[in-house]
Amino acid sequence: MVKKSSPVEKAARLLDLVPYISSHQGIPTSELASEFGITVDELLDDLNSLWMCGDNRFDLIDLEFESGYVTIRNADTLNLIRSLSQQEVVALLIGLDLVEKGLSADRGDLIQDISALRSKLGKSLVRLVDATPAQDGQIISLLRESLNTQRNIEITYFAPTDDELTQRVVTPLQISTENDRDFLIAYCHSASAQRTFRIDRIQSAKILEEASEAISLSSSEDLRISAKIHITRNLRHSRELLGNYVTGEGSDVTVSTYSSGWLSRTVISSAGAMELRSSSELRSHIADIAERTLALYR
Amino acid sequence: MSRKSERLVNLTIALLATKRWLTKSQIFASIDGYEGEPDAMERMFERDKDDLRNLGITIEVGSFDPLFEDEVGYRIRPENYRAEIGSITPRELSLISLATQAWQGAVLDSTALSALVKLKSIGIDSDFDSIPTISPTARVSDKNFAIVVDAIAQRRTISFSYLDQNLHAENRVLEPFGAGTKNGFWYVAGHDLDRKGLRLFRLDRFNSEIKVQGKPGSYVIPDDFVMRDLLISPAKANLATIKVRRDKAHLLRSKASTIDEGDEWTTLTVPYVEDAEILADVLWHCDDAFIVEPQQLRQSAITALNELVKCHG
Repeated sequence: MVKKSSPVEKAARLLDLVPYISSHQGIPTSELASEFGITVDELLDDLNSLWMCGDNRFDLIDLEFESGYVTIRNADTLNLIRSLSQQEVVALLIGLDLVEKGLSADRGDLIQDISALRSKLGKSLVRLVDATPAQDGQIISLLRESLNTQRNIEITYFAPTDDELTQRVVTPLQISTENDRDFLIAYCHSASAQRTFRIDRIQSAKILEEASEAISLSSSEDLRISAKIHITRNLRHSRELLGNYVTGEGSDVTVSTYSSGWLSRTVISSAGAMELRSSSELRSHIADIAERTLALYR
Repeated sequence: MSRKSERLVNLTIALLATKRWLTKSQIFASIDGYEGEPDAMERMFERDKDDLRNLGITIEVGSFDPLFEDEVGYRIRPENYRAEIGSITPRELSLISLATQAWQGAVLDSTALSALVKLKSIGIDSDFDSIPTISPTARVSDKNFAIVVDAIAQRRTISFSYLDQNLHAENRVLEPFGAGTKNGFWYVAGHDLDRKGLRLFRLDRFNSEIKVQGKPGSYVIPDDFVMRDLLISPAKANLATIKVRRDKAHLLRSKASTIDEGDEWTTLTVPYVEDAEILADVLWHCDDAFIVEPQQLRQSAITALNELVKCHG
């Protein structure tokens, strides 16, 4: 999993290790490795390299780490925190934006802290970034907590396909990420079955006192239906609406989905840009709905 | 391989420690790792300088005597090397940690982490008790985003293939100015060199890996560029009157500015920007919703429904 660092990346890390160890004398190797996002072996390799460094005319850097705790001496020249690169500042500014917009309105004190941090990090870069989170950061935290503490959670969930806002008690089983979106796989006590919820559609969540009984993740049965769709216009927009369920090039595509409700609503809301070619049941279902809706306009 | 990183560190130490300009011959004589033919050492040194500069380290070039330029020297001024962050409070450090966590598993993960360790090197503790438990997430796995951020940082022109509305791939050349995210989509904005204007691009519509071209610092980001202005939702200047069934059409209700509950049908006023978008929202709800006004929007719905009946019947 860990990608081997390039010599330049390693050099950068060696330079950054010096001030970090200086301000954290006696830090355990395992903790130091995890702070730098590397394995202990990589860290030991780094420390062995650093130990050999120094200017010939000055002394070598004096490192002690055999005990499992790291101390450094004689590294005055390098004991400077390297200035942040613009890339690093951009990453932090985007992160801070996401943090700020996840805070509740009563934390004006933290919002002030964030704006102070922005100026400290790099005033000139602030206007170059803007990030709004796609989902509620407090809800993810609650879901993680309920997974860790094995408690049931009550959620309000909005399902656009069913046009329903429902309250459910669920036992979280797993948080997964697919195509850059987060999903909660949970046992739903209202449906008495395992369900997958899109986390950005969970509108509120509350951890319940009751401990959850042990339920194991079951592999979902593949009940997907497949349909052929012809796109007559707005090619890019239509394909984006069909999302990740679509295969095929150009304007004739195959869509594979668990929900025929979602499929027919998507075709109808395309306002004629999509024609469903098979199956014939779904075709007549769509014609039916369109006919009924049309009646409202007469 | 590891010799190279040690040589880079030694070079940095030597250039930082010196109060005078260090000449190449002094560098070659005193730093381990510069070996071989003079030409090979020269090339090695040039690459090392570039590598350090790419890490954001400023190496100054000068000479002892401005009248004799034959032997130039090099040095790194500590004040240029060092971060000027000033003081950071424990609570601010915890917020930075949270901002870094947002990148976990995403493309700028290691970039954010290296920024965090630098700030932690100041030697203060975090104070996580003073901030609420939230998990911000920057969900972007697209490597192009890291390339965009690099290009913005270095002011380098990029080119890429982009899918237009009809899914035709077009080649675009851009001076990237800024980047951001909204509704789970990631964007880059900048000056489009072919179309000669400010343009916004969605990262998931890129059809190729981004190519970086041109030298660093090849353009200036205008003072009046603000990424937020491009991602802000346009004012919803239009109003539609829509009737929805009782307890139905939650999506439309959540967008409505007024809701007038009736027996069977509830009347909503829904602000919107574009016809196509509100039409899709209303049609989504099938026979649970219909448009009363404006007339031309109502007519569009009728046309669309007739077309749907015709091609599916």
